[in-house]
Amino acid sequence: MSFTTLAQSEPIDCRTAVQRLWDYLDEELDAARMTEVSAHVARCAACGEHVHFARTFLSALSASRTDVPDATALRSRVVDALEREGFSSTERS
Amino acid sequence: MNDRDAQFEQNALTCLPDVARFARSLTRNESAADDLVQETFLRAYRGYASFQQGADVRRWLFSICHHAFLRIQEREQRMVLSGDAGEAGDADLETLAAVMGHVAAQRSGLDAFVSSIDVGPAIREAIDQLAAPYRLAVTLVDVEGLSYEEAAQMAEVPVGTIRSRLFRARRLLQEQLFEYARDLGVTSAATAKGPGRESTSIMSTGLDQ
Repeated sequence: MSFTTLAQSEPIDCRTAVQRLWDYLDEELDAARMTEVSAHVARCAACGEHVHFARTFLSALSASRTDVPDATALRSRVVDALEREGFSSTERS
Repeated sequence: MNDRDAQFEQNALTCLPDVARFARSLTRNESAADDLVQETFLRAYRGYASFQQGADVRRWLFSICHHAFLRIQEREQRMVLSGDAGEAGDADLETLAAVMGHVAAQRSGLDAFVSSIDVGPAIREAIDQLAAPYRLAVTLVDVEGLSYEEAAQMAEVPVGTIRSRLFRARRLLQEQLFEYARDLGVTSAATAKGPGRESTSIMSTGLDQ
């Protein structure tokens, strides 16, 4: 298997870079490997596109987080249940 | 009101919206989620003496919630925890597959749409359709922002398992999003992207050999 390599001095190739894609974006690599991927992505437009797309995708995932609409009603129900356990709330004292 | 109750109200109850969201991602059912939230806070209140002050109370509540969810599922005999059919075995291959999915999307012009419209509803629907282990991994890491280590502790599985489940979940979600784009009529004619051709060439050359 021969992935395109950008230059002789490039420490990692495209395949290695994309294999580390998620770990890189999640900052779960050690410092040396983070640096290797950063250096590769800075020089390789193709891998840079993959990183850009993956980052956009992760942002969309994170942004999909929504608050529960009726949290106030749910909180009241939970506090009722807690009070039956002896809990005393400042809201109702 | 005693100090313990005041602390519980200030620290734990303020996390109720987070726990409610997490419970809904686990149950995919509003009524069941509300029951689970109530059970979570009852358990948390009873065990609050064991909570180490200064620790991450939200993570502690998530853990209680997840345990309560598993116990409920066991009671209802609706979940098989062992075996984990379809478990992602190789995280690196999942990552490569996700990138190949992106390459294919570049070819058909589908990739640009992810950043061009609100894909939130499609993502939420796609997450709901994931099998429980994958839904848990992506919810904890990508939606709630936990690290691999934290998510692994909560799910009580090795870090490598969370990682492979997460990567598979992401690949599946990407595929769902591209499917969503096709359903919306997004085509290659809509987004002709020059730079994408280079990466398509690189990736297909590498993986085809």
